[in-house]
Formats: sequence, C-alpha cells, structure tokens
Amino acid sequence: MAFRWSRWSPQLALVPAVAVTAVAFVGAIIWTVYLSLTRSRRLPEYEIDWSQWTRQYERLFKDDSWTLSLQNLIVLGLGSALAIVFGFILAAMIDREKRGESLFRTVFLYPLAVSLIVTGTAWRWLFNPQYGVEHALHSIGLTWVNASWLATPETAMYGVIMASVWQSSGFYMALMLAGLKSINSEIWSAARLDGVSLWRLYTEIIIPMMKFTFVTCAILLSLGVIKAYDVIVAMTNGGPGQSTYVPAYFTIQALSGKGNLGYASAAAVMMLVITAVIFLPLVLVTAWQQNRSARTAT
Amino acid sequence: MSDLTIAQRILGAEVAVQSAPYFPRKKKAITGRSIAIIVFLSICALFFCIPLYVVVVTSFKTMDQIREGAIFSFPTTWTLEAWDHAWNTACSGIKCNGLKVGFWNSVQILFPSLIVSIALSMITGYALALWNVRWAGAFLFILFICAFVPFQIIMFPLISMTATLKVYGSLWGVALIHAILAMPVLTLIFRNYYKDIPQEIMSAAIMDSGSFWKIFVEIILPMSGNILIVILILQITSIWNDYLIGVTFGGSGTQPMTVNLANLITISTGTTRYNDNMAAALQTAIPPLVIYFFVGKLFVQGITAGAIKG
Repeated sequence: MAFRWSRWSPQLALVPAVAVTAVAFVGAIIWTVYLSLTRSRRLPEYEIDWSQWTRQYERLFKDDSWTLSLQNLIVLGLGSALAIVFGFILAAMIDREKRGESLFRTVFLYPLAVSLIVTGTAWRWLFNPQYGVEHALHSIGLTWVNASWLATPETAMYGVIMASVWQSSGFYMALMLAGLKSINSEIWSAARLDGVSLWRLYTEIIIPMMKFTFVTCAILLSLGVIKAYDVIVAMTNGGPGQSTYVPAYFTIQALSGKGNLGYASAAAVMMLVITAVIFLPLVLVTAWQQNRSARTAT
Repeated sequence: MSDLTIAQRILGAEVAVQSAPYFPRKKKAITGRSIAIIVFLSICALFFCIPLYVVVVTSFKTMDQIREGAIFSFPTTWTLEAWDHAWNTACSGIKCNGLKVGFWNSVQILFPSLIVSIALSMITGYALALWNVRWAGAFLFILFICAFVPFQIIMFPLISMTATLKVYGSLWGVALIHAILAMPVLTLIFRNYYKDIPQEIMSAAIMDSGSFWKIFVEIILPMSGNILIVILILQITSIWNDYLIGVTFGGSGTQPMTVNLANLITISTGTTRYNDNMAAALQTAIPPLVIYFFVGKLFVQGITAGAIKG
C-alpha cells in the first residue's frame, strides 16, 4: 500500500506547480493574446469583431512611438553589447594576471547586486545638467565637454546605455571567466612553446573555443534588453519627449498611462514574439551544447 | 523583475555547467605586462566605483554645498540630515512618511514570497528529478519557456486574478506574484541539482518503504544545504531589487522600497533635494550590498559545489 501511495504522491506534489503554470503562465498568455484581438479600452471586452481583428496591430505599426520604441530597442541592444566586449576584456585580464582576482571580481560585480532603480538614480545624478559631471568638468576648464546626455533627445539613449553597461559588465565578466577557466591549461603552454603571439592566441584560438559562452551572453543580453524597464523609469521616464521609449515601457504606458487594454495587449504580444525570435536559437544552442558534451563524455 | 534577474538566476545554472575546478598556477614574477594589466584593471575598477562614491559623498552633503556644483568633492560638513529626511519624511506620491514605510513593506513582502517560492519549486524539482513522472520532460520544457516570458504579456491577467482573489494592492498580492514568477526558474535549478543524486540511493530508500515525503524530509532536505543558500541569496536580492511587480501590484502605502525611491526621484514639483535622493538610493541599496559583500564568497562556494556535482 505504501508503495502504491508513493506512486501517486509525486503526481499530487506536482499539482500546485502545474496549476500555477497552467493558470498564471499559459492561461494568462492566451488571455492577453485574446484581448489583443478585441476593442478593449479601459475595461476588458470579450467580443471580437472578426472583420477587423487585427485593428490593434495595425494601429500599433502605424504608431510613431512604437516605431521609435523598436529603434531604441535595437540601439540599446547594440550599445549594451559593449558590456559583453568589456566583460571579456576584463575576464581575460583577470584570468592572465591572477593577482587581485577576488578583489577585482568583487568590484566589477557589485553593480549587479543593487536595484536598477538605484543604478538609474546614481547615473541620473551624474548626468545632471546643473550640478553633475558636466559642471565639474567645465569648472576645471574642459568647457567643450557635453555630459548632460539625458537632457537632449539625441543623446538620452546613450546615457541609458552607459548605465546598463556599467551595471551588467560584471555579469558577463563572470560568465566569461567561467568559460576561460574551463579551457584546458595545456593550450596556454602549447601556445607559449609555439611562440604564438598573444593577439593571435586570443582571436584565433580562445575566442573560437568560447563561442558557446559568447552566444549565451548575446542571448541573455537580448532577453535582458527587451525587459529593460526599471532603468528607463529611474533615469528618464521615457523622456525627453518619448525619446527613450522601449517596448517594455511603451506597453506599460499604454496600459496604465493611457488605459488602453487592447492596444497594450497587442504590444505585449509583439514583445513575446521578439522574445521568441531570440529564444529559439537559445533552445537550439542548448540542445547542441548538450549533444556535444554527451559526445565528449563518451 | 529587473531585466537581468532572469539572467542573474541563469548565472547560477550557467556557471555550474561551465566552471571547472580551479587549480592555482605557480606564483609568477612581476613583469612589465602584469603591471600594465593591473594598472588597467585598477582604472576600470575606479570607473566602477565612481557612481557609488558620488552617491555616498552627495548623501552626506548639505544642499548649499551641492549647489556649488563640485560633484566629486568631499562634504565640507558631514551631515546626516539627508539620511534622516530620506528615511523619515521623504514623499512618495502624496504621503510623506519616508522610505521606512517602503523598507518594512519590502521586508514583509520578502518573507512570504521566499517561503512559498522555495517550498513550491523545491518539491516540484524533487518530484520531477527523482520520481518517475511520465510527462516530466514536457513539463520541464514548458517551465523553461515560462522562465523567459516577458512580464508584460501576463501582467493584465495577473492583475485581474489577484483582484478576484482580493489581494490586489496588498503586500500579500505582491508576495504571491513574486512567488509565482520565480517558480519556473527555481524549479529548473532545483531539478538540475537533484537529478544527479544516484538512482541507487532512491531505489534503496523506496525499498526501505520510504514514502515520497519521508524521503524528501529525511534524505533530500539534508542534502540541499548548498543549493538552498545559493537560491536564498538570489531570491532575496531579486525580490528586494524588484520594481515592476511592486509598482504594478502594490497599492498606495503597500509599495516596496524601490517604488518609494522611484517616486521620490521622479517627483517634479518643488526643488529637488539631491542629497535626500542619494541617501534614499543608498538606503535601498544597502541590504543587497551587505549580502553581496558578506556572503558573496559563500554564494560562489555554493555555485561551485553544485558545479562539481554536475
């Protein structure tokens, strides 16, 4: 009897998790997709006018601020990619020069421990046009410097990029460091014996060997960029004007700012589509990696 | 959930997969190149410290000194006035009771969501990893996808559901949503940790007429110390640092500290008191920073312990 009971217990123990997944994730996604086809404004309406069920999406793609959000998303993605490059350089240097490893690691990783709202607050202050870094540089004679990036629409996005690179470089450094340490130490001595230059060693051997780490970093970065919301709120609140709108901000603005549920749902569905486009390679890469490690293990 | 939270959690899994045992190399003599590297790294470290430094000194300055505009200078008179202001009288919306309200709200959100999310995902991970559940693979795949879903797509349905359950706008609502959103990732981490427990141990335990729960309490729980510490630290920092869930599900007066801080700094009326803002930012940042600086080592240890098993 005890044995039979133990056959059913695991399934019973899984009921809460399955229920949560079915209701809060799968059900909620279907709900939002459905809402995006309706004319819901402030309150949900559940009637779909099938003659024009794509109206929310059509409106979305004609909306200039959505187009701007997408452009900003790409700018933010490309700019934040600097964090991967920077992270790799830091990791490579820390890995070569073991002295002070734990100190440098602690310093480079601490921004990750604090909230993005705090990060945004700090950088908003540094970029302050009146009393910020610009003022300090001007007072020592560097009057040509323009560091109040957040105040003008053309440069506001760069300010956001600066803060996110500062925040996330340490994270990519940690991933890269783990990748570097898993490289067989014989490669280093073999390269030294062959007299391979350091530059060629990295560009032709180490980086290709770490391509999986790089791909993982790139995917994690893209997924992070789509979710970028907190840092925008803390630094610019979408402004000046709408110059720092990103899809995550646009969607929430459409829901809680404009109270347009159907429209916000359509934007959220587009966010899901973008995530899926990035996510698909992740699944493939993971499968490929598992395949490879299974092969090397045998 | 902040944009790197998921990534940060994956870090646990990722480092666990990739880091090999670390063999220290022989001490090398100091060469020109190592000096160059150390100088470069130190400059980078300085760049990383600048924002923290500026925030700290500004929070101790008086507004008069801030208006002089030397952002990098030391406070001429150190004052705790801004810290007091930020903690006791800073405004969030129309209420001016300071960040202490948000602080206690964050604490009250933290505990229930930690308990619920860890208990739920631990048991789920255990059942999926060690018991013969036929649909385990499919379920894990769905969880994997759920871990990456953007919050916006489930936002309105969750608001409606919590409103129906009468917890929308309360601390319990915020805690519940945290627990739900953390479930997929945590389950995956627990499952990855448990799947390496040898099948023989499980068979022996079942033969010994151990039931599902008995095995969990007597065998699995004592083995989970490392992973529990890792997950505890990840969860505490990510719940504390969250803004989006807090602002969406917290009502007026039941919002976490990050929301209070955001309200304070984005206020547009009156003159901005920058020293208050910086003190508020520091107060919000101190709990996770303390965890990071004191148990950061433990955190890395936990990860590597998991890695050696995997």
